[in-house]
Amino acid sequence: MKKYKFYANVIKEEQWLNEQLQAGYKCTNISSWGNYTFEQTNEKYVMRLDYQDYLSTHRFEEYKEIYEEFGWMHVKGSRFGSIHYWQKISDNRDDMFSDRQSKSNYYKRLMNYSLTFAIFFLVISFIIYDGNPLIVKELYLTQGLWEMEGSLFWKAFLFETPFVLLRLIPILILFVSAIQFYMSYMQYKKIKEELSR
Amino acid sequence: MKHKLLPLSETMHYILLALREPFHGYAIMQKVEEMSKGHVILAAGTLYGAIDNLSKNGWIKPAAGENGRRKVYQITAQGEEVLAHEKQRLKHILSLYEMSDECEKI
Repeated sequence: MKKYKFYANVIKEEQWLNEQLQAGYKCTNISSWGNYTFEQTNEKYVMRLDYQDYLSTHRFEEYKEIYEEFGWMHVKGSRFGSIHYWQKISDNRDDMFSDRQSKSNYYKRLMNYSLTFAIFFLVISFIIYDGNPLIVKELYLTQGLWEMEGSLFWKAFLFETPFVLLRLIPILILFVSAIQFYMSYMQYKKIKEELSR
Repeated sequence: MKHKLLPLSETMHYILLALREPFHGYAIMQKVEEMSKGHVILAAGTLYGAIDNLSKNGWIKPAAGENGRRKVYQITAQGEEVLAHEKQRLKHILSLYEMSDECEKI
């Protein structure tokens, strides 16, 4: 079974993946473009998502070794600062973190990750949108487009619209990553408050 | 002694105590479970984070070529110092408990 999904929020993505696994599937592959492959199984699987900054080859091996000893299987994740997808057969030890401190560190990592993402796309947006992206007319770069008339205008207008949408992608991603940053910040804050209570 | 990891969290404390003998990842979890009478059961992410943090501070190190391919860890002299410091701190707190117990008896 294949499913296409786009998630910018790690917490939501983990929830959705576990809903699929509970229906009697295991995840066999995740592509970078949101293509999830599942396979039917009689075992019960769980999935947990982690984020790690850049890891040296040596530390990446160490990271994977410890998780694998605990029965986790690495579905996806590169050592160059990415989300790591860990799957295992469910038993009563399905959590990735066993104390508050490490759980709070996890949300802190997610927070920094989404912040980097948001800042990156903010910079890209500044570079791409010379004018104000909210003024639709300025997104169309064809010279004299708005002075054209009749079918010539519509042809040129429709021709350029897909490119305008493409140019809007960075600002959409910026928007989504800002939401993710806010959500992981709220989780982090909640856990921190619980810790200091 | 001042350090951002001090006083040690329960997780860190148990891991350091366990690593007075060399162990690999999963065996650390088993040892800690046994030492804590089943109260502290480390999860993979927590253990990885702790090992990473303790290694960075030079309190534990990889033990030389044991157990084939698996990576084995062990406490360092610096780690022992931390434990000695924590022992004094806990001893003092314990003595305060005992003092108040004696007051109750009188």
